[in-house]
Amino acid sequence: MTKFQINRRDFLSTTAAATVMAGVSMPKLAFAADKVVKIGFLAPLTGAVAAWGKPGLDGCKIWADWVNADGGIKIGDDVYKVEFVAYDDEYDPSNARTGAVKLIKEDDVKFIMMLGGDPWPGAAPVAEKENMLVSTLLPSDLSPETKMLVAPCEVHPIYNVTGVEWLAENKPDLKTAVICAQDDSLGKPSVATYLAAFEAAGIEVLGDPIFFDPATTDFAPIMSKMLALKPDIICLDTCYADYVHPLTEQAFQQGFKGQMISCTADFYQKMVEKTSKEFMEGFIFQFPDFDDPKLNEPHVNFNKPNEFYAEYVKRFGEGEWGAVSWEYASIMDLWSDAAQRADSTDPEKVLEAMKVGGTGKQAFGEADWWGKELFGIDNALVGLWPVVVIKDGKAKIQDFKSIPAWWDKHKDLLIKHMEALDQMYYQRS
Amino acid sequence: MTVELFLQTVVNATYAASYMALIAVGFVLIFGVMGVVNFAHGELYMAGAYVVVALYADQALPFFVAVAAGLVFVGLLGLLMELALFRPLRDNPLGGLIASIGFLLILQTIAVLGFGVRMENVPPSTQDKIVFLDGAVLTYQRLYVILAAVGLLTALWLFLRKSKFGWALRACAQDREAAVLQGMSINQTARLAMFIGAALAGVAGALTAPLVSPTPFMGHSVIVTAFIIIIVGGLGSLEGAVLVAILYAFVHTFVTTLYDGTLANIVGLLLMLAVLIVKPTGLFGAKERA
Repeated sequence: MTKFQINRRDFLSTTAAATVMAGVSMPKLAFAADKVVKIGFLAPLTGAVAAWGKPGLDGCKIWADWVNADGGIKIGDDVYKVEFVAYDDEYDPSNARTGAVKLIKEDDVKFIMMLGGDPWPGAAPVAEKENMLVSTLLPSDLSPETKMLVAPCEVHPIYNVTGVEWLAENKPDLKTAVICAQDDSLGKPSVATYLAAFEAAGIEVLGDPIFFDPATTDFAPIMSKMLALKPDIICLDTCYADYVHPLTEQAFQQGFKGQMISCTADFYQKMVEKTSKEFMEGFIFQFPDFDDPKLNEPHVNFNKPNEFYAEYVKRFGEGEWGAVSWEYASIMDLWSDAAQRADSTDPEKVLEAMKVGGTGKQAFGEADWWGKELFGIDNALVGLWPVVVIKDGKAKIQDFKSIPAWWDKHKDLLIKHMEALDQMYYQRS
Repeated sequence: MTVELFLQTVVNATYAASYMALIAVGFVLIFGVMGVVNFAHGELYMAGAYVVVALYADQALPFFVAVAAGLVFVGLLGLLMELALFRPLRDNPLGGLIASIGFLLILQTIAVLGFGVRMENVPPSTQDKIVFLDGAVLTYQRLYVILAAVGLLTALWLFLRKSKFGWALRACAQDREAAVLQGMSINQTARLAMFIGAALAGVAGALTAPLVSPTPFMGHSVIVTAFIIIIVGGLGSLEGAVLVAILYAFVHTFVTTLYDGTLANIVGLLLMLAVLIVKPTGLFGAKERA
């Protein structure tokens, strides 16, 4: 039997070393951690939508470790260590409400980051009453009433126009498309966006978009229906990862040979594994791996993207990288910058500093606070967005395209399709 | 609808009917013999899928070895449920139901702790497929599910009709007290019913793992469908479960293909409603639970 023994000499030498280490590190800790600012993370960490919550929290942990290791954030005369307090809303409005109350009342957070979508209506009354600054990844949550809600990173689904625009420029022979999406608050505005983008690009959409029940588990009938129309392009809209994967597998199994486009392709390596490199070649989506050398271009504002990706992969594994792994961290860059300029963590002052001048440093470049015509409020930060294509089994950025440039040319189309699906802010209940 | 699409829809419906029948028959068997609505049945299906994740996807054991292990493991889980939950609550069906909900949550939590909340990637064991008339496609992976359903359900039917243990199961399902008076062991038949019922769900999960990307929450959707099938088929009727699984799968798949999935769900529920109004015991159910 193995016994663990320690003699007096070992004990004394270890204790002495620990004391010295503690002594050396104490002054820095005392300086860096004199105060703590808590940030709420209210997103799905379990369930079907967890892929758009959990990887974001993992990214935030890296962000906080890096910031805290550098001594924290200097806001006014104080230096703050950043601490994330997570609450799993399970993509459910009532859980989001409970979470918002807990984060604000019990944890005293100064800022809440959400995925948005279905849970937002649950958290909205609490955030409004408490005047809490909240971020969403889904600007379709914005309306003239949501003055403290911002979409500072992702302008879903509007950036999807960039993928279609790139497709039309680079594969002009593809002329027909079919679209499917889950029937929910994420799928519908995205369908409207793709319809507008395809129309702007001169690509005909065959049949009506297929809205499927989010409880669907067998996607064979949906894919059979789409393939029966013999499209050049299959568009998977903004389907959750749990749907993109089986739909793609079905397209492969039922013999589709054309182009696929999707908002996301989270954990695409698994799709390559279940289909083939050849089948996935050319698959277009909107979310890059952050080891991409194009993210080192000077217009990109995200802090050390390649190092961030390497750290993420080291901690959580390559297969765990997803669309949102970097997004909440990039929102924290904006919040941190605004809080420092505001000399305060007060939510209203931070928001004011964030929006000063009407522009901001979005992850992929300088961007404008925008959205009045589409959301009724200029609380979405919009600028460049990457178009990503799978080449030889690996996601590669092909180009950064301007969302405002597309909007200036085709905004009537987008508003038309948004209205047709009751997705304009004045149509939503 | 083109001939090609029609054939593909028939293939899709046949696959759907197969895995639904495996799950529903297990569900009915447990209810018939034990009088307990096993809410954790969907999680037994999930457990079967995770055995394949652990042994085939993670440990690279042969696919069919992992499937066999899934069948046995989930069957043993059924035995555990019978011993720890349903036997102490045998005279309390509501207590059994609530205990099964608790077990459901335990299984989900174990899956979350063991594998995480994300969907798992289970590569197909083969990419081979059969193409009918140069149009409809049936992958081998789906064919395995169809063949397993036909084989296992036929074997179960023969077992129930031709073997002494099968007669005991049917006797207990018809009248438990009379069966006891004839010298049959309730504990033994309950164990047998739980093992077979759970194993059928487990093998369905194991075989479909490469087709559905398992998650700890995948049991929710199948349990709702299983409920519809056993209510329409008649509580306690195995033949009813099989026939209604086929009927439901074909109606659901054709409506989904021709119209949409939401309408298909509504049609499924209307079918259940209509049967409950016209024949409250279900299409093949007896007036009282036999």
